[in-house]
Amino acid sequence: MKNLLKSSVVGLALCASLGVTGVAFAGPTYVDGPGALPACFTPWAEDTKFMQWEKKEGPFKVAVVNGFVGNSWRIQMVQTAKAYVEQPEIASQISEFKIVSTGTDAAAQLGAIEDFINQGYDAIITIAVSPTGFDRAIRIADRNDVVLVPFDNILDTEAVMMVNEDQLLMGEMAANHLIKHIGNSGKILEVRGLAGNSVDRDRHLGFRKIMEAAGNEFEIIEVVGNWDDGQAQKVTSDALAVHGSFDAVFTQGGSTGTVRAFMEAGHKFVPTAGEAENGFRKLIALHSDEGLKGLSMGQTPGLGAISIKAALSALNGEVMPQLISVPIPFADYNTLVDGENFWSDLSDNFFTANEFPPCDVNISAIEIMAQSKDDSQ
Amino acid sequence: MSNFKIWMASNWRLFLAIGIFCLIYGTYSFLHPAGGSSRLFVQNSNESFVLISVAMAQTLPVLTGGLDLSVGSVMTMINALASNVVNGSPTEVFLGIILCLCSAALAGFINGCIIVYGRLQPIIVTLATGAVFMGIALFLRPTPGGEVDGDLSFAATFDLNEIFFTYGWPLPEWFENSLGLIPTPVVLIVIVVLVIWVPFKNSVTGRGCYAVGSAEGAAYMSGLNVDRSRLAAYTLAGLFAGIGGLYLALQTGSGNADIPQAGAYTLNSIAAVVIGGTSLYGGIGGVVGSIFGAMSLRAISFNFRVFDADGPLGFISDPLLQPLFEGSILLIAVSAGAARVFSIKNRLNLFGS
Repeated sequence: MKNLLKSSVVGLALCASLGVTGVAFAGPTYVDGPGALPACFTPWAEDTKFMQWEKKEGPFKVAVVNGFVGNSWRIQMVQTAKAYVEQPEIASQISEFKIVSTGTDAAAQLGAIEDFINQGYDAIITIAVSPTGFDRAIRIADRNDVVLVPFDNILDTEAVMMVNEDQLLMGEMAANHLIKHIGNSGKILEVRGLAGNSVDRDRHLGFRKIMEAAGNEFEIIEVVGNWDDGQAQKVTSDALAVHGSFDAVFTQGGSTGTVRAFMEAGHKFVPTAGEAENGFRKLIALHSDEGLKGLSMGQTPGLGAISIKAALSALNGEVMPQLISVPIPFADYNTLVDGENFWSDLSDNFFTANEFPPCDVNISAIEIMAQSKDDSQ
Repeated sequence: MSNFKIWMASNWRLFLAIGIFCLIYGTYSFLHPAGGSSRLFVQNSNESFVLISVAMAQTLPVLTGGLDLSVGSVMTMINALASNVVNGSPTEVFLGIILCLCSAALAGFINGCIIVYGRLQPIIVTLATGAVFMGIALFLRPTPGGEVDGDLSFAATFDLNEIFFTYGWPLPEWFENSLGLIPTPVVLIVIVVLVIWVPFKNSVTGRGCYAVGSAEGAAYMSGLNVDRSRLAAYTLAGLFAGIGGLYLALQTGSGNADIPQAGAYTLNSIAAVVIGGTSLYGGIGGVVGSIFGAMSLRAISFNFRVFDADGPLGFISDPLLQPLFEGSILLIAVSAGAARVFSIKNRLNLFGS
């Protein structure tokens, strides 16, 4: 009770200090589901709460506050977001769109979020540099009825709407793919990602959960490739030199490098589950007849675009899940089509997973590449 | 030379720093829809405070002709410590703050002792101790989180009125719409400058820092206590960096032993010191210049948020080109401080003023 009193005093004081009149405390309300477009905005779990903002009249001002730029995923995320808001259907809903990159500095990122709130933006999409520390930004966003949507690196809170892919499920999908092709026993190579990162941890846990279930007899060799083609290739070569041969591979990232290491060692192609790099898909398309039965799935740079869609939906007063699980985009050796879900004429580093039919988000590689051309002019 | 000329000769770098800041921040305020409003000042001073603190911290070692590569790590260590101790009852919060500030000063003092008594290069020593402090930070806060007193967080990161509201003190009416609108972080910086920097600068030890930086041999021969000045400089550097770490904990309500962030703060602190007019050779400059240097550095990135992407200069706000432009503007600003070299007949003249 004391806390309640205290917080209401603080709340009132805030309103008074900023000269805010009318509703004492704005922001989303928790409501009962189901939410809008459940095939796209899938609730993370059964007990995920639902939120609703007051309906606003468009068109809206939307900003993306990125953390650091410096890897191809982030660059493609920025370009995908730009391409998405240029699509006529979305462009008509957005009056202003701005992207800033603040580096790895939490104070600068919090400041940028607050700045866009002060500029009167309606929605702010962000990749948080830290899973904590956003309480103040969230409170100010709520007070000004701004929809704040962290995605990819999300926050440890239930107070904002967030968008991500289920990394645990991705690990499980990889395991199921391998079991489907080699049965319930064999020698497996697992190439892990950046140590200490929650994405690496969750993909690993999901993978092991299935592989180590009762009835399976796998010998799993673990190496760390840091989601990087060069490093993944090196550690895979080392593993091949030490262990001789493997029956199947799960590589979290740098998948092109992992497969290349097998080719250079003269090892036969084996069933492989990996990320959604274009290079990996090119190799699967070329060598699937020789045994490279590949599954390619990934954390899509299109998450930014889906977050924008989620924000617009929230601004239109729709009921939204607090934590949205975006369907994992994947393709296997049977479903790969050149020019559709991989591009034999584009670079290996391009992330292919960009189409989400249930979300109506379809940004072709051509549109994304067109963005990068504009940038260099 | 007249008094005014002498005064200008020793302060022109500071005025240049203030000028650069006014230009960059003025552009931003002009383009911002809420430009000049109290809430924008609150926001801008909030996001600048930590960088200002580490820039102030960096200034003192640089004045003595050294460099402190551990300021970002000390800041992060105190941030992690604060997320453990600055909570609970008011007494506990108060003791927690004292503990944070003392630990920060101690970290700086250790740097100073190793440099002075170990007779080692500051750059090597602080590179090593920086790694140690980062290790302690990770030990104190292995994963981001922790708890910081919520009331204090709010009181420290808004305007002065907020302090009265948060703690339920009666607020005089004349105060509310005048002084009450001043952002609290601004007041905190002014207090730090007036209570710590100004008395220190005017003390024998403080003046000794300048003397050591200009000519260590001469300072020693003149009977100044060189060791004491050096120790004081590094200790104060630790304290200033700790104030930044404490503030970051209040601002984010948590702690985070973030290694890339610590590195970025250390590098930015050096850039801020240079823009602020403190010579990297030592002996010239001061903390006030660094404050403006840090604010200029921050204000550069503020502008990316308000530039119209479709306007003639819209390409500057391209998210992928922002680091490039930030760096270029920084380079121009730093070069402006060195432009005088082109107009002098003899390089020895540089040492005249």
